[in-house]
Amino acid sequence: MATAENATFDSVDDLDDEQREAVKDLLLRLADDELVIAERYTEWQVRAPTLESDISLANIAQDELGHARLWYDVVETFGYDETDLIWERDADDFRHSTLVELPFEEGDWADAVVRSYLYDVAEDIQLRALEDSTYAPIRDRVGKVLGEEDYHLEFAESWLEHLAADDEGHEKLQSALDRLYPYALTLFEPSDEDIEETIVELGLRDEELVGMRDEWHDRVSSYLESIGLEVPGLDLPEQYDVHVSPDLLPEHVGRDGDHTDDWEALLDEMTHSYEELGRDYATHIMDDDE
Amino acid sequence: MIWEVFRQEKAGGYHTHCGNVHAPDREMALLFAEVQHGRRKPTNSLWVAPQEEIGEVDTEDANFGGTTNKSYRFARTYNVEPAAEEVEASEKELTEAEEQRGEA
Amino acid sequence: MDIDQVKEKAGPREFAPKDDLPEEYRKAATRMLQFHANSEIMGAYLERPFIRQAPSLERKMAFSAKVQDEIGHGQLLYRAAESLGIKSRDQMLDELAEGKGKFLNCFHYPMDSWVETPMIAFFVDGAAMRRQATLKKSSWEPYAHAMDKICFEEGFHVKHGEDILRELMSGSRKEQQMTQEAFEKWWPRILQFFGPTDDKSSHHDFAADVGLKVMTNDQLRNAFLNTYMDKAKKYGLEIPDEPRIRENDDGTYEVVEDDLDWDEFFTIAKNDYEPGVGQIEGRKHAQDAVEWVRNALDEQEALAAGSQSPQAAD
Repeated sequence: MATAENATFDSVDDLDDEQREAVKDLLLRLADDELVIAERYTEWQVRAPTLESDISLANIAQDELGHARLWYDVVETFGYDETDLIWERDADDFRHSTLVELPFEEGDWADAVVRSYLYDVAEDIQLRALEDSTYAPIRDRVGKVLGEEDYHLEFAESWLEHLAADDEGHEKLQSALDRLYPYALTLFEPSDEDIEETIVELGLRDEELVGMRDEWHDRVSSYLESIGLEVPGLDLPEQYDVHVSPDLLPEHVGRDGDHTDDWEALLDEMTHSYEELGRDYATHIMDDDE
Repeated sequence: MIWEVFRQEKAGGYHTHCGNVHAPDREMALLFAEVQHGRRKPTNSLWVAPQEEIGEVDTEDANFGGTTNKSYRFARTYNVEPAAEEVEASEKELTEAEEQRGEA
Repeated sequence: MDIDQVKEKAGPREFAPKDDLPEEYRKAATRMLQFHANSEIMGAYLERPFIRQAPSLERKMAFSAKVQDEIGHGQLLYRAAESLGIKSRDQMLDELAEGKGKFLNCFHYPMDSWVETPMIAFFVDGAAMRRQATLKKSSWEPYAHAMDKICFEEGFHVKHGEDILRELMSGSRKEQQMTQEAFEKWWPRILQFFGPTDDKSSHHDFAADVGLKVMTNDQLRNAFLNTYMDKAKKYGLEIPDEPRIRENDDGTYEVVEDDLDWDEFFTIAKNDYEPGVGQIEGRKHAQDAVEWVRNALDEQEALAAGSQSPQAAD
């Protein structure tokens, strides 16, 4: 919890350079995660198993895009605009977890629900750790974002339960979980050790990544095991008491800018029209939120 | 199965039929209804009910309100001035209903 | 009821699922609704790549919402069709996948570039909205109810499309040129949206007689041209010379029918037009891939229904 000793920061003007880097990193991790997972979710539009689930997953995608927008808005106060943060940004500057950039195999609805479940629990834990952030613009936005997350978890859990009760469904869920779990761990990897230290010191987030990861692991294990799925153990050899062993992590973690090839391909698709039209601005439709 | 959906616009209001969703059970029906029928119109609450559980009686099966004179059920039948505001308000509503029935 | 009684009673929202309606009515209504529902799905399928390609975050959100609405419209319309008792939703979706389900001509054509999106999102949706407004008076009550929700949502679609057009036509020379080219490509297809002129349409008379349809193809086309030609010009688009459109003294328009490619139209109507077939197959592929999910849900539903215990009370 932010103590009376921690300064609270009302805006970018209250931050020195080092502090600014830390806030920016925290925000970009959040925003990039939301943007990219939303982008993958939209792949299911017009392709979901039923019309109703199509409509629901589209809603979740729009929620996540809205969250990305809220976080990017805060970064913009540092002197950037949307084109800097998305459309003209280098692929390896993005800091999202590689979990969210993975493509879906055609028809792999099990992946969609496992991925969203693992992601949503992580997000829930992280957002709660931001509720008392010393950086006011973050604090001011967390409530709105959390308000939309309940539905995401309910949707994921409902689907998990329905599929787990079916033989083929169970098999596919397990397979997806085995494949996605290492990538989900990257949600809790730092972009940079020093910056992560600053984030915690400044009280921007009141929990460390390691603690959040352990909480996440306990929570998802307990739930997924209750519906008959096996979750990999988190055996931590002594020397890795801070982060997980590299053996458990996938080759590309994403947080440090090192992504899979699929990310670059995805970003190319996303920026296709922007480039074809020779744009140098990003259209806004809505009024600015506070 | 098909679930009929009913929306209550504001707290204290009535739930009105607004459409339906296909879902295997009540839990999913609620999740789907929340988005398919609640994402724009002001909504305080949604109900879902299985279509097959909804019974109907209509003018083919029943003569709602009867066929013989039952004007004794309505206020304007009585030849006294309404004693108070609320009595008058009730009389207005009852009269409106009686007249709409007459048109039916 | 026999068909003469139906014709006599036909009026807005006159017939509901519990009415004992003759098969001729129910089949005609199913055909209309199925075409309409299929069109929503295939329109959504055509537009979905532009969610990914949208050139701004907010454009992306809007496109996702539009496609979401269209699937929602499909849901409403299949339901309204199901309630006629001729085909189930699953049957209609299967027919669509197998190439037997018919849908709007415009959605058989590919869309390759962002500049083409307003052709559908503004002009085609504008035409559709005009038609949908009239269908609120359909004699099939569930159809009219579906129209209430669809018309409620569609205003956003048309304005969103218009906004994209406005932006392109006030953008760079390149954007304007590309948009003009897209307009020339799509214009004849948009005119054919309304189908052949009244004298060539086979289904109209019956549908009109039983109140399913309220305006003729020609009336709808005139209403469209009245509004949307001026809009196109307002944004700096040049109406192509062909097909020739003559304005009559009474303010109505006559399109020189021979200037339009009706062979192509009728090929499309049979689902024989190659790009359209590609769309149908693409969607089928995606839907087949998630069949296992539907099977899992159906099995669970069957098990629950088969069990003896009554619906659990809370």
